[in-house]
Amino acid sequence: MTSQFKYGVSLYSYTDDLGTVMTLDDAFDHVADTGSTGIEILGEASVPNYPEPPAAWIDHWFAQLDRYKLEPTNFASWVDTRIQIDRNMSAEEGAAQIAQDLRLAHRLGFQFVRPKFGVIDGELTPDPIWEPAVERNLDLAHELSLAILPEIHSPTPIRHPVTDAYIAFIERTGTKNFGLLIDTGIFQDRPIDAWGGGATEEIKKGAASFLNGINVPVEHLDDVIRYVGFIQAKFHNIDENLHDHNIPWDRIVPALKRLGYTGYLSSEYEGARDPWVAIEQVRRQHALIRKLEGEWDAANGRARHA
Amino acid sequence: MLERSHIQSTGFRNTGPDSARTGFEFRIRQANYRSSRLSLIEGVDITVDGILYPAEHNLFRLRDKTYSQADMAAATDARLYVGEYFTVVVPRSGGLEPGVHLVASAIRYRHPYFPPEFQPVVVRDERHATIIMR
Repeated sequence: MTSQFKYGVSLYSYTDDLGTVMTLDDAFDHVADTGSTGIEILGEASVPNYPEPPAAWIDHWFAQLDRYKLEPTNFASWVDTRIQIDRNMSAEEGAAQIAQDLRLAHRLGFQFVRPKFGVIDGELTPDPIWEPAVERNLDLAHELSLAILPEIHSPTPIRHPVTDAYIAFIERTGTKNFGLLIDTGIFQDRPIDAWGGGATEEIKKGAASFLNGINVPVEHLDDVIRYVGFIQAKFHNIDENLHDHNIPWDRIVPALKRLGYTGYLSSEYEGARDPWVAIEQVRRQHALIRKLEGEWDAANGRARHA
Repeated sequence: MLERSHIQSTGFRNTGPDSARTGFEFRIRQANYRSSRLSLIEGVDITVDGILYPAEHNLFRLRDKTYSQADMAAATDARLYVGEYFTVVVPRSGGLEPGVHLVASAIRYRHPYFPPEFQPVVVRDERHATIIMR
């Protein structure tokens, strides 16, 4: 029986390198060499001339996937609800944005689409159009075999009205094409010492939770694991002793193993943005998580799989 | 590929007729990790050698099209992509003297997924850059 995590990398990890010191082809090489089987992209960042990539680029995309033996995992999407300074998107516009990304993600072979909705408050409550905008796309997602997964992201914890509303939507519609994406930044339990989130000093001063972490107990995963389709393995700094300074992998990995999670852990490095640092940081994270998974398997009598 | 700094060395030059310069321009790479609809960029303030050139007077050129601040606010479909630069066009009678200048940019990005109190986010860069010819 195979009960292993799947390993992947989000190209978000290489922010600022892509376009300055790294091409998409370079990124394929770095991702594949971690031993990953999955590659996650940011649609409008990674796809040239988004939302209408040139046909030659699509051919090259599939050739690279084949060459590096990678499968497309999650396609990150944005629903820019406050699209103009004095005007918010309508539900129809939000639905059109999601439909566009579902179609493009499908064309590129993806399995998941993460819509990042605009929010209306400091607790990251999504703009209320999220619900009708998603609901109008459930049939399309089903037809394209895609799951729409909004993320549970710090400072929003698992036990929170935002999460409850997503789960109520799943229960009400009975859909299999909508679920949750967990960003492991919610488990951060020590202050960030190297942040690459692109935010300014003003934000860091004004949003202590961004820096200090909201320290969600890993046991809270029990409540929602059945809805979790994908995990973005957010991290900021892993040192040369494979010690993560902020994210408690020694608690997260056993919790996910105990719950039988066999989906993706897709690296999302968000630390120092000096050139090329991300390449090594992502490798350290893979070494660390694989080590912890191996230890759990050994202690629990599970055979390791090559 | 582009320089790591947001402000690029290449492209810094005076604008307008040789005998009557009307300003200067330079390139700034997309400083966000995703593409930006132009309607999400609320303006770009420029400071050169301590003199502020506020966003409302500057123009924003992307590929072959030039936008005023009001044009950008309406441009919900045009996108500035990652790995791409725009050119900010700044009015200044006579342009800048040839030589090295201290140049700063402040891009006001609106991120709808950020709490409203953190909109817009001001992303800054500052560096020395060189005008070669008058």
